[in-house]
Amino acid sequence: MTVITHNRRRSRLSTLIDQPGGVSAGVALAQAKANLAEMEGRSRAVIEEEVAALALLQPAASLEETARVLDQAYNHSSAVIDAAGPFELKDLCAAAANLCDLIDAAPEDKPFDWRIVTVHAQALRLLLTLPADAAEVRTQVLASLKDVLKAKVPGIAGPSD
Amino acid sequence: MRGMNGVGESLRESAVFNFAGAVTMVIDDSPFALELTAQAVLGFGIKVRHACSSAAEAIAVLRDHPVDLILVDCEMPGMSGYEFVRWLRRSGLEPNAFAPVIMTAAHVRRSKVSEARDCGANFLITKPFSAGVLLERIVWVARDARPFLEVGDYFGPDRRFRSEPWEGLERRSEEIRKAEFEAQRRASIEL
Repeated sequence: MTVITHNRRRSRLSTLIDQPGGVSAGVALAQAKANLAEMEGRSRAVIEEEVAALALLQPAASLEETARVLDQAYNHSSAVIDAAGPFELKDLCAAAANLCDLIDAAPEDKPFDWRIVTVHAQALRLLLTLPADAAEVRTQVLASLKDVLKAKVPGIAGPSD
Repeated sequence: MRGMNGVGESLRESAVFNFAGAVTMVIDDSPFALELTAQAVLGFGIKVRHACSSAAEAIAVLRDHPVDLILVDCEMPGMSGYEFVRWLRRSGLEPNAFAPVIMTAAHVRRSKVSEARDCGANFLITKPFSAGVLLERIVWVARDARPFLEVGDYFGPDRRFRSEPWEGLERRSEEIRKAEFEAQRRASIEL
């Protein structure tokens, strides 16, 4: 197979980065965290909206409709990860990612077990309402969701589980 | 001391960089996710010049405006992030076709893993990620000295990350500069 190599020219970004001035990584991160902290309340509202929308979804009436409804569930779940990601809400991200994995692995020619979506929506709601110090309950909730993934998609769960 | 020249290495708190003049584009169909990214990079001194809600909107901008850094979401309705990057690399637009591209994804579908690898992006970050990871990756792509390759259907940065030491004569200018800098740094400490 032919390989054409384009000599790397320095990108403007690579030149800019070493220009005089700028900020240290420590300052940059502190500024970024301060900027993001102002959005934390809105983030929570977005997560609640997405979880509510996920809970409202109805199972598809036909196999043809299944892909469309599952795409909606996948998008709501992804949106939870988008909004929760920068705020160290790892449990919400893990629960949402679990649902994404399950939807992604669902065979297109078979009906989807809708209880999976219902259970994840309920788990996300529970995780949202649990007090910050309820670490043990959070761990249990995530472990039960991971069990669903292991049961439905053998071999997908990582060694850390 | 850990450097920032390799994937997965962390930034020193005292490392200084300047992105103030970087023309940056963020593409995300979710307005909130776009704003989160914009606010994070603003902390790094990067003001987002072009905030686009779709690949089509981004393409219209890229035809007329040079861009220094692109952050693009993988999953978008219409043209996906993967398709966008593939288009960009083959666009023939100078210098935008060679612009550093970081893709972000809440989740990568198994069917898209090869697309993520083959579309020509410099880096893919999966969420959740901290501001620290984002900064580290931006610094990393700014220093990314890999040549661009055209191999079959692929057009993008060389995907081979070589970590094993090379016993022969070092001929890569970037590595020679780094070695010279390191020698000077050591000499200054010994003084």
